[in-house]
Amino acid sequence: MVRLSDLNDVEAEHMRVRASEMQPVPPAAWITPKPLKDCTVAIVSTSGLHRRGDAPFKVGAIDYRLIPGATDFGDLVVSHISANFDRSAYQEDPNIWFPLDRLREMAVDGEIGGVSSWHYSFMGAQPNHAALSNAGEEVGRLLAADEVDVALMVPV
Amino acid sequence: MRPPRALWVPFALGRPLGVAGDAEFQKGVLRASFAMLQNAVEPTIEDYPVEAPVESGSSEWSCPVSFPVADKKSISARLLAEINLMAPWSAETRAARGRTLFGVTGARPDQVEQVAVALGEIADKGNVTEVPQGDISWQFEMPLLIRHLVDDLRTFYHESMAAQPGDNVPNHDALNDWIFSGTALGDAIQAIAQHLTRAGDGASLMTRGFLVPEGHLAGGGSAFPTPAEMNKNPKI
Repeated sequence: MVRLSDLNDVEAEHMRVRASEMQPVPPAAWITPKPLKDCTVAIVSTSGLHRRGDAPFKVGAIDYRLIPGATDFGDLVVSHISANFDRSAYQEDPNIWFPLDRLREMAVDGEIGGVSSWHYSFMGAQPNHAALSNAGEEVGRLLAADEVDVALMVPV
Repeated sequence: MRPPRALWVPFALGRPLGVAGDAEFQKGVLRASFAMLQNAVEPTIEDYPVEAPVESGSSEWSCPVSFPVADKKSISARLLAEINLMAPWSAETRAARGRTLFGVTGARPDQVEQVAVALGEIADKGNVTEVPQGDISWQFEMPLLIRHLVDDLRTFYHESMAAQPGDNVPNHDALNDWIFSGTALGDAIQAIAQHLTRAGDGASLMTRGFLVPEGHLAGGGSAFPTPAEMNKNPKI
């Protein structure tokens, strides 16, 4: 996450206001996972990524999209609504938002146990976290059913 | 969100793993995140101590291609002229990368001109309610489609910049300053922002906020609805 001092003044003030309006979220259950070299990792992104054939995210979307582990980056587009972050780095290297190649390399090198067959994408810039709770819990159940040990959550 | 373990990174928005094209830098961020799985004993936010290389701001970077000075032609005509100037560069980048991000609107990657015509006509004619004509199956309704027409064209513009000579990597501010300092795309965005202001309904005013990056609305201030506009539209 960027430093507020590195943002445009108007955007920084917007972030301060939004942060002040956020409601407390109770802590998640504390789980100590198995050794990393045995863990399967899935990415949960809030960058608004999805496959070209998927319905795009609309304003305030609280649903999610599935991204297959074998996906080709050329099959992904982004319908995140914000104009206040730059897409050019992602255009150059999609791993900067969605580090699928890096996880594949770390699995080959034995640093992690494996890469999940499925990853998940949400629309970011959500002012109301409570509205996301059903979809979030659903994704949690899917990750557990898929025997994923670690959810790597990557905001943009 | 309240993840049990969080790594705060000092990178610009749009660069959560730090540096595009630098696998080792990205893995450093991932390794620091994963280390918390073994080391943290309670909910933790840790600061990542490594800065990303500084990208070029507006004073260090400029677009090497000169566009015609704005004249009396329509925005549509100027937009098409810009697209034609940049098309060979964008094609180079697409060929080198083997992919493009263009197409979230529903357009095929080769339908850049159609997207430009759609946006240019909205800018010239001011119709922010009717879906543009043509053979593209648009994936959004109006006025939100405008936001994504712009995003597809910015993808194309960024592709064209990426292929041009020079090692400077422009940052978000430099790219925005370029777009909004006389390109037909920037002029189209500003014209449409005015049309959305005149439309005055909640959806139009919010679309204006999504359309113009903060700090770049002609006349200053936030592009999102002002308090006075919100008072007129209590549903915003």
